[in-house]
Amino acid sequence: MLRKDIVMELRTKEMIMSMGLYSLLTMVVYFVALSQAGSSFDPRDIAAGLLWLAFIFTSMLGLNRSLVHEKDQGCLEALLLSPVDRPVIFFAKAGGNLIFLLAVEALTLPVFGFLFLQGTELDWSSLALIPLALIAGSVGIAGVGTLLATMSVNTSGKDFVLAMLFIPLMYPLLLGAVTATGGAIVGGAQGVSVFWTGMAWVLGYDVIMLLASYGLYEFIVGA
Amino acid sequence: MIALVLGGVLTLGAFFGAFFWAGVPDFGFVRTAEQVDSVRYKGPFEQPIDEARYLANYAGYTVEVETGGESVRGELVSADEDSVEVATDSGAVTIDAADFEAATVFGSEYGRPDWGQKIFYFHVPVAEISFIVFAFAAFYAVRFLMTRNREYDTKGRVSMEVTLVFVGLTMATGILWTKAAWGVWWDWEPRLTTYFILTLLVVAYFVLRNSVEDEERRAVYGAVFSILAFIDVPISFFITRLIPSNHPVIERGGLEGPMLISFIVAQIGMIALGYAIYQLRMGEVQLQERIEQAKTLLER
Repeated sequence: MLRKDIVMELRTKEMIMSMGLYSLLTMVVYFVALSQAGSSFDPRDIAAGLLWLAFIFTSMLGLNRSLVHEKDQGCLEALLLSPVDRPVIFFAKAGGNLIFLLAVEALTLPVFGFLFLQGTELDWSSLALIPLALIAGSVGIAGVGTLLATMSVNTSGKDFVLAMLFIPLMYPLLLGAVTATGGAIVGGAQGVSVFWTGMAWVLGYDVIMLLASYGLYEFIVGA
Repeated sequence: MIALVLGGVLTLGAFFGAFFWAGVPDFGFVRTAEQVDSVRYKGPFEQPIDEARYLANYAGYTVEVETGGESVRGELVSADEDSVEVATDSGAVTIDAADFEAATVFGSEYGRPDWGQKIFYFHVPVAEISFIVFAFAAFYAVRFLMTRNREYDTKGRVSMEVTLVFVGLTMATGILWTKAAWGVWWDWEPRLTTYFILTLLVVAYFVLRNSVEDEERRAVYGAVFSILAFIDVPISFFITRLIPSNHPVIERGGLEGPMLISFIVAQIGMIALGYAIYQLRMGEVQLQERIEQAKTLLER
């Protein structure tokens, strides 16, 4: 099933294209938003927040699309009839979403650095930690997001309901992920220790929320 | 109904206890009584001062400065690191800081009773009940998913409604207190932020329920979401104890005598009120369901 998602994506390139372009557009909005601030601030201080803002909105777009596809084409019902364990469905869907999200993040990160962080002093040894934060954060987003998107596709106000459920539930993860990424961008011994504090939050959240989502998915998909 | 009366009586009793019995903590130290409302004269005070520059805050007070074996008494005009100027009966005297030995400031002390803190007896029980009722909602959600009995869904939903009421009250009283104590209406501080997230989650629960058509599906989605949302409750409760926060925490043994009794009475009263609101709403919902059933029966 994970393979099906990837094959379909490779054929249409719809998800990556739409999510990637969306995150590029977000960069344009950032430029406009920061255009009045001049150069009086250190872009490294706000970089992590801006990055995760782009990721969270891009991921909502992707999550919605990935589940709307399933619903429109009647795939989910077909899957429920097939002799597959329900948790397998959850992990396949979440895995697919995770891969697309990571791909988009990998594309966005250099673009963001190119556009906003040129000319600032960067500590490359601590920047190498960023992928860890991205992966840990994306695991949480994909896991909980898949569960919530499965709910929201069956509601009357799909996108809005997803945002309403997703953003408050994501708050602890986002805070931890932004803290960790910010620490890695600022660098130095203190930055690295901030990074690991943030990562502890993110990993704790991942474990609790993934277990909860995994346990509850069966009820959602069966309803 | 008994719970409603009991809750009302106890909460009212707690308020009377809180206002007329429990001590009012003094809020800081008020120098110029005329400038501040609700100040209380607490008596004269004598403040010993050992360095000239510490006198700087006491301009206008009567001071007695020891210098070179004699003492100068009069109204303090100014003081800094270099010199002290005192207006005595026989004219102004300037004392070099090097000759300064010691001084005593004489004045009246005023305390301002901190009535703002009284909201504690309302805000804290209300917040606690919002957590407790949320826990009941999550419990009924689990029961519903296990048994698929619609009764539990109704109970969970009504619990969530009661939670919304108490969350709203907590937010309202909290915001008033923040303005009184911190001088701002809102601060992005760990407890406030997590509680704001909790408010959003409770609202999201109703948004979710209202946008699902199918009844069975609505019940399941609501139950699943209230379990997920409940994870924020322990986070919000323990966060002030885990990371540095401006929000006050009651320490074990921090309350004594009348304050403790008023607080406990307020808590019991609020629990009774919460239960009463739950029961009243539950009765209403059950009545509605019976009317619906009767309607469908009549249409047949």
